[in-house]
Amino acid sequence: MAEMEAADMVVIDTVVNGRPVHRTVSARRLLSDFLRYDLQLTGTHVGCEHGVCGACTVLLDGQPVRSCLTLAAQVSGHHITTIEGVAEMPALPAATTEERVRHLHPVQQAFWEEHGLQCGYCTPGFVLTTIALLEAHPDPSDEEIRETLSGNICRCTGYRNIIRAVHRAKELWQTAPSTEGR
Amino acid sequence: MVDASNLVGQSVRRKEDVRLLTGHGQFVDDISLPGMLYAAVLRSPYPHARIRSVDVSGALRLDGVEAVITGDDAQQLGKPMAVTLDLFTKVPTIYPLAVNKVRYVGEPVAAVAATSREVAEDAVELIVVDYEPLPPIVSIEDAEQPTSLLYEEWGHNRQLDWQFQVGDVGSALAGADVVISEDFPHHRYTGVPLESRVCLADYRPGQGALTVWMSTQAPHQCRTLFAQSLGLPEHQITVIAPDVGGGFGTKLQINAELIPVLLSIKSGRPVKWTEDRYENLVSGVHTRDYVCHLEVGFRRDGTMTGVKASLVGNLGCDGTCDAAGTAALLVAAAYLPGPYHVPAFGVDVVGYVTNKAPYGAYRGYGKDIANYPMERLMEMAAEKLHIDPLELRRRNVIQPDEYPYQQISGPLYDSGDYPAMIAKAREVLDYENFRRQQDETRREGKYLGIGFAAMLEPSGAAVPNGIFNGYEPATVRMTPEGQFLVFTGNQDIGQGIETTLAQVAASQFGVSVDDVRVVFGDTNAVPYGLGSFSSRGATYAVSAVHRASVQLANKLKRIAANILEASAADLVFTQGAVEVAGVPSRRLTLQELGNKVYLWPGPYGTVPPGDDPDLQATETFMGPRVRWQPDEQGRINLYTTHPTGIYAAIVEVDPELGDVRLRRFVVIHDAGVIINPLIAEAQVVGGVVQGMGGALWEELRYDEEGQFLSGDLTSYLLPTAPEIPDVEVYHFVSPSPFTPLGTKGMGEGGTIPTPAAILNAVNDALRPLNVFLNDLPITPQKVRAALRQAGH
Ligand code: FES
Ligand code: FES
Repeated sequence: MAEMEAADMVVIDTVVNGRPVHRTVSARRLLSDFLRYDLQLTGTHVGCEHGVCGACTVLLDGQPVRSCLTLAAQVSGHHITTIEGVAEMPALPAATTEERVRHLHPVQQAFWEEHGLQCGYCTPGFVLTTIALLEAHPDPSDEEIRETLSGNICRCTGYRNIIRAVHRAKELWQTAPSTEGR
Repeated sequence: MVDASNLVGQSVRRKEDVRLLTGHGQFVDDISLPGMLYAAVLRSPYPHARIRSVDVSGALRLDGVEAVITGDDAQQLGKPMAVTLDLFTKVPTIYPLAVNKVRYVGEPVAAVAATSREVAEDAVELIVVDYEPLPPIVSIEDAEQPTSLLYEEWGHNRQLDWQFQVGDVGSALAGADVVISEDFPHHRYTGVPLESRVCLADYRPGQGALTVWMSTQAPHQCRTLFAQSLGLPEHQITVIAPDVGGGFGTKLQINAELIPVLLSIKSGRPVKWTEDRYENLVSGVHTRDYVCHLEVGFRRDGTMTGVKASLVGNLGCDGTCDAAGTAALLVAAAYLPGPYHVPAFGVDVVGYVTNKAPYGAYRGYGKDIANYPMERLMEMAAEKLHIDPLELRRRNVIQPDEYPYQQISGPLYDSGDYPAMIAKAREVLDYENFRRQQDETRREGKYLGIGFAAMLEPSGAAVPNGIFNGYEPATVRMTPEGQFLVFTGNQDIGQGIETTLAQVAASQFGVSVDDVRVVFGDTNAVPYGLGSFSSRGATYAVSAVHRASVQLANKLKRIAANILEASAADLVFTQGAVEVAGVPSRRLTLQELGNKVYLWPGPYGTVPPGDDPDLQATETFMGPRVRWQPDEQGRINLYTTHPTGIYAAIVEVDPELGDVRLRRFVVIHDAGVIINPLIAEAQVVGGVVQGMGGALWEELRYDEEGQFLSGDLTSYLLPTAPEIPDVEVYHFVSPSPFTPLGTKGMGEGGTIPTPAAILNAVNDALRPLNVFLNDLPITPQKVRAALRQAGH
């Protein structure tokens, strides 16, 4: 970028969705922009750019963080999981929707079964927040689920089916644990 | 493969979810083009000011800046902004960038296209504007007695002024035993989709062609509005709406999107504008913001004698070109009688322009305005008449055998059963028991309240003179390989049409939803349809897809009958094949049929005389009972279907803190035949929670000087999971006689009655303390202030 001095640039060494990433970026590059525009991982969405909505949530060493409040430079030496890294989707040209879903992470499957998304803009943030929750607490109560999700805004669903999806994810996860991609 | 003849009515899990769950959706901001520039917009810090000069030289000197535009460019490169919808309104002459004066805080004044967003934002800071502040018009009172005018050429600040009366409402009220009369103010709030507006404009000077990717609910109308606002030939414009991150009515105009388009025309390069949250809150369309004075006469037995209303809306700078909100006040006027028998009715409507953001659409579009004052008043009347609020409604509602019912104000209601829904509400609320419990807990210092609102949701508008005029085509096509494409002008904005429209088509062909692909959101691909607004999907798009599917199914049967040497009347579609009913050996799979018609041997060996190998059908649905020609009373009918409902909120109010907790929320809902119960119920729940937000937290605030105070999500509070109870939904099915499948559009019902139900519940809770709240949102501060005033 023309306006940047070399001194403003930093080198980033990180692992994103299991793959090593080595880049030189502006020191003020946000992690959300780095993922979306430098790595083309556009599944990380930006809903507010000021840390309220949670749409931009990614996992930093397994912990949910807001990529709109994180600088790309801060993730050097750490592991990032974005929504694209949650499940490895095989090429399934002739598969039905149901068959495709069966290849997803249990949390994603649960959101599908319970209709936990409408426009899908908030969904990556909710899925990643839920994965982090269930990694840490395999059997959260309804209240714990709601508290954990209080930092994620969904404007479409009214939350009911999202909460149901998290309960369903608990069950699915116990029968089919799958944590590849992190 | 599922036998699909009965896919309508099944909770099919959504087809569109896999890409959205895996981060592979494609929203506009996810798209980049080679050579693409980024836009940033300079916005007015003043609510009302004359622009003396704009100096862009500093911005132009910045490395990376490719184009800068101001109001002058908007005038030279384009035309005044086209009208979205003009029903009795005054049409201002305005441009996407301010010309001569600014009329609200946040109005675009200049814009920059640069090689990065950072450079564009830096460049915007270097633009110098010399303003001469003018007195701001903020409230309705300011606008009524104009200290200044938004549009000097009008000579006043009224954009809309309209009266209507049927029957002698004066004597109806004079003859009543009791008249309840109250002013119901309603604050300003809006849709706030999680994806803000985003637009990528690509003007190719070599072809004179413009392609616009934008997050919109109505790609075709946007194409027309671009053509009219730019003077470009419409056939050279393509509008593409890929995945859209929610709309709720707020994405039905092009006022902001014209800016990147103008930048692309000026620079000759693709330009992307990604609205940030501040821009969306300060300038994305606003709604509500009105006062309704309502007078209703009752006999002692609780039946109504007449309704008289005066509705005054605060439209902000404009609701006719900048956005399409002005007519919402007229919809409100037509629906004020709601679901009740009203023997005489009179209303007058005024919409004032003020120095606030443009007035647009948001889930409800005036149906909410019709609902809120009336449902608040019903509860006040119940108290005054000593009649239970549910019983008072029961005595006034339209009876099931009266449908189709000609409402006094013009609308023709299609079907419903309010008495049964009221009975159901009593049952699921365990109502008598609740009242006892309420008395007991009050003695313990706990304030529980219950509030109701009847719901009427006109769905599928057909409004004359503009972009909401109500029809929808669909094309259904079979491929040579035997799968199906549905081409619709309806737009997926999260409401599940890729699945529901597939269910409708698949049902005719005995295939699964995975065998049907719904194509939408590209004006070059789909017929000119009107997109997603006014809950029109299950009224218009579904009906069109159904009819086109039936027509294509008949053609396929004729051709298959010719091949199978059978009679078309004996053929049925089942399991991905067409066969002679009861003789499974005489069948063709749809793949065999498609192959035979298109390839082996091809049409001359397979298609009977009078038919052709074009395996597609197009049908356009028009509302069969829409009437624009006024009857002898001057009445028209704009809507085709009307979902109905009874909503109840149970709240607990903490008198110490002023806190309102939602304890239960019950919805008795009837939207006719439901295509997909899972999706339909989720629409209701999502709508209810938006209504809860409006009732309790969300507000677009301005101070008295017209400065905007709600520019981020810490000052504009959206509902989050912990404070929302599980919404309970119970369904009734009164099929609409006006649609081929009996379906009714139903996206807004949840939002419409919820604020009234909640405030009614709060007032019910605080009744023993002699507190009456009349202001939204119901903040703890307001509750505390009201309690203090009552001496608590
Ligand atoms: S975009 Fe990061 S929290 Fe909203
Ligand atoms: S599904 Fe649209 S914001 Fe959550």
